[in-house]
Amino acid sequence: MSTSLEMQNIQKFYGPLHVVKDFNLHIKPGEFVTFLGPSGSGKTTALKMIAGFETLTSGDIFLGGQSIVDLPAYERGIGMVFQNYALFPHMTVAENVAFPLTVRKASRQEAGEKITRALHLVKMDQYKGRYPNQLSGGQQQRIALARAIVFNPSILLMDEPLGALDRHLREHMKIEIMRIQKELNMTVVFVTHDQDEALTMSDRIAVINEGRLAQVDDSRTLYGKPKNRFVASFVGESNMIPCRVDSVDNAAGRVTLAGAAPGLAQLSGQSKGDQGWIFIRPENVEISARSPSSDLPNTLDGVVESALFLGEMTRYLVRCGEETITVKRQNRGQPHFAGGTPVTVFWKAEDCTVLN
Amino acid sequence: MNMLNAKTAGSMGSQPAQRPDFMSSLLLNRWIKGGIVAGPLIILMVGFLFIPLSYIVWGSLEGSKFNFSHYTRVFSSEINFNILLRTLHIGLIVTVISVTAAYPVAYLLTKLKAGALSTVSIFILIPLFTAFLIRTYAWMIILGREGIINNALIGLGFTSTPLPLLNTTFAVVVGMAHVFIPTAIFTMYSSMVRIDHEFARAAQILGAKPVQAFLRVYLPLTLPAVFSASILIFITAIGFYITPALLGGPSDTMISQLIVAQMTTLLNFELGYASSIVLLLVTICILFVASFFVPLEMIWSSSTAASSDEELRSGARLLRHLKRAIGPALLVTETVLHGATRPLLTHDARWLWAYTIVVLVFLTAPLIVVVILSFSSSPFVVFPPPGFSLQWWQKLANAKEWHQSFFFSVQLGIASAFVATIIGTMGAFWLVRTKFLFKRMLFLFSLSPLMVPVVIIATSLYVFEARLRILGTFGGLVMGHVLLSVPYVIVVMAAALRNFDESLEPAASVHGARPLQVLRYITLPILKPALLTAGLLAFLTSFDELLVGIFLLGRQTPTLPIKFWGDIKYQIDPLLSAASTLIVILVAASIITVQLVRARHNARTAVSTAE
Repeated sequence: MSTSLEMQNIQKFYGPLHVVKDFNLHIKPGEFVTFLGPSGSGKTTALKMIAGFETLTSGDIFLGGQSIVDLPAYERGIGMVFQNYALFPHMTVAENVAFPLTVRKASRQEAGEKITRALHLVKMDQYKGRYPNQLSGGQQQRIALARAIVFNPSILLMDEPLGALDRHLREHMKIEIMRIQKELNMTVVFVTHDQDEALTMSDRIAVINEGRLAQVDDSRTLYGKPKNRFVASFVGESNMIPCRVDSVDNAAGRVTLAGAAPGLAQLSGQSKGDQGWIFIRPENVEISARSPSSDLPNTLDGVVESALFLGEMTRYLVRCGEETITVKRQNRGQPHFAGGTPVTVFWKAEDCTVLN
Repeated sequence: MNMLNAKTAGSMGSQPAQRPDFMSSLLLNRWIKGGIVAGPLIILMVGFLFIPLSYIVWGSLEGSKFNFSHYTRVFSSEINFNILLRTLHIGLIVTVISVTAAYPVAYLLTKLKAGALSTVSIFILIPLFTAFLIRTYAWMIILGREGIINNALIGLGFTSTPLPLLNTTFAVVVGMAHVFIPTAIFTMYSSMVRIDHEFARAAQILGAKPVQAFLRVYLPLTLPAVFSASILIFITAIGFYITPALLGGPSDTMISQLIVAQMTTLLNFELGYASSIVLLLVTICILFVASFFVPLEMIWSSSTAASSDEELRSGARLLRHLKRAIGPALLVTETVLHGATRPLLTHDARWLWAYTIVVLVFLTAPLIVVVILSFSSSPFVVFPPPGFSLQWWQKLANAKEWHQSFFFSVQLGIASAFVATIIGTMGAFWLVRTKFLFKRMLFLFSLSPLMVPVVIIATSLYVFEARLRILGTFGGLVMGHVLLSVPYVIVVMAAALRNFDESLEPAASVHGARPLQVLRYITLPILKPALLTAGLLAFLTSFDELLVGIFLLGRQTPTLPIKFWGDIKYQIDPLLSAASTLIVILVAASIITVQLVRARHNARTAVSTAE
């Protein structure tokens, strides 16, 4: 049930349009990998090439060590959950789930057992005789999942499967999908543009931008140590402050922030004199009442432009000269700063990185 | 992203092309596959429509002599020219009457809920699908010297001698309006139903009086629908044969009658050809002008209507300027209308319902008259019948020739429907699923049998099939009927295919279904209701068809319409009523069956989810 998937140097052109560029990705057996990217980034095209709905312009795809690019979709043995579920409207739930077995001419008894097991796994045992339009969106989603896993596919593809669900159901289905994936130890390729889904569910996330793999890493690394500005701004919220590297000391360096203030930051391969951007997450920025000016590094004076109360946290926008810094503070009894208050913001050197 | 999706849809199923076996790779080649799917349709259109038409053009010029004298005769002879003018005149009157009468009904239909809608539409569908001949026959009974109207007028003492109603222009117009009102209702309804009534409500909340909301918001939105219905009716009306021939007098001759007379009795072929070409040119001109106002495919297939964000058509722009010019007059009219209609605008649309019921009675009453007359005890067509008897039904039960005609027509209908459904469905797949330039043109091309007046198709097939020596054969007749019904199949199937969820086939394929299994388990079952409808339409087209039959039939059993036609012209008696009743019942039963199958299927597969 768990198979490795390897994408080797894949290119895809639509006429002059280069939609997938130099894809190289190895997915281990039982791994949950998410393709995350804005719409039009090429993530769905990449998925369709794995499924066999799109041909590759060049490159190769190996499923369990075997090249599958010459196989038509129906011989690849892949399970797939579609964005709008694509349940067959003229078939009952049981018939839908049975479909992969029917077309493979499985024996009736074997099919019966597998259907029961799949429906049990998605907790839809009682709905066998219903038609898809008699089910809610979440239930349809479960049936689509059951249909995709009923024939023990080598790998499961999911194309934005949670997009059509409301927020509450989406949270619930995330956990369900993770549970089923662990239970069956399935290799999963999941496509989404929603970073929350990607961060919660994946073993590794492949961030895709303009057809290129921008970064492939686990959630923590991706969030904490993004490799470039695109990843930093696409995954989670971030502050980007222009800076110049003044001196290099191991992986850290002294920098000048926004042309004036001194700073200390982690470097990602920059050398002295390079221009770059300081990247810092809003939750890592401290805020306090304006203190007499000091020469501490990573400290900026500013004025609160707006303070949004969000329940568990408050989100401040602080104007510091040219820059606007976003600050997120847990509401745990700290002083509150209303709009117009002069404040000082600062952060630790280990929480910020210089990106090109 | 959309573009990417569109791309996949286009190349769906034609994936990895390096398969070893020859047959598969052949089938995967896009051009070869396209050729197989589109071939029958193209052969049919070119072979049985365009080549025969070119024969007619050639014949009208006496071949390479390029003799235009026959055209001169059409225009210079006062009789012929008057026939042409009268045809256009009657066509215009009928169009205006039908569309005006149908508009309020179509409007009411858009406001109805599913249940009431299907009840009301049965009353419109049955007249719509009842043969023209039967409907015309009904009007002969109603308008005749001893028909209901004359009997009623005499009974009430308004007149002492029967009025000459039959064989007048009045009769032709009433008969044709009866034929076209159901068409108008459905054509307009199918595009009006997509106009959101919220627009009119929004206008009212913004301060427009109901009349203003209607005139300024709703009506303009429905104008394309009205216009395309008008064009459809007008071009059908000017090529109409049955009704003017039976209800009109000698001074009401229309151009189709002229052509038939030239071709069958006067044997003046060249003049017949020339008249046909003139009629065809008039039709083409009308369509050409119409194409400046609405996309032509909307006339036959409202589901393909252009989206509203499209650039305004040049014609529509002209209309806009016109509207600005008459602005002040409009304002006065609105105020007057508002005052006049205010008491009529009740919440339950009582007046609209009353009007609709009147129209429905007008549409169904003639059929009821036919049914009642079939139980008449009189040997003549007298209404109301003097007494009850089953004599006509007994006669029908023993009438061998009627039985033969009936079975022959059923055979012919099934054969034509079968062939037409296959050719049309394959053609629709080709037109909807493949990407190529001139797609719109090709769609119109495949509808062209609906644009060419039937009498011209009949004439040209007659000449063409005589050349091929298949004139008078069963196959030749089937081809004629297939040609007439394929466009309906294409319209129905193309609409169904456009609504087809395009992720279902990839879903089946990724889960292991081979292309033929996808077709068998997914595509065809989902298209089943559309296939049934298309097949039924094709069958009814063939079953009701008169002119092509008259021209192409050899020494075989006459088809039912031809038998009917012969008897009506020879002598109308209540036996025809019994036969008509039987046919109406059969047709109604088949329509209701198909409706029920569709309703069941739709209830199951409707897109909505049970939240």
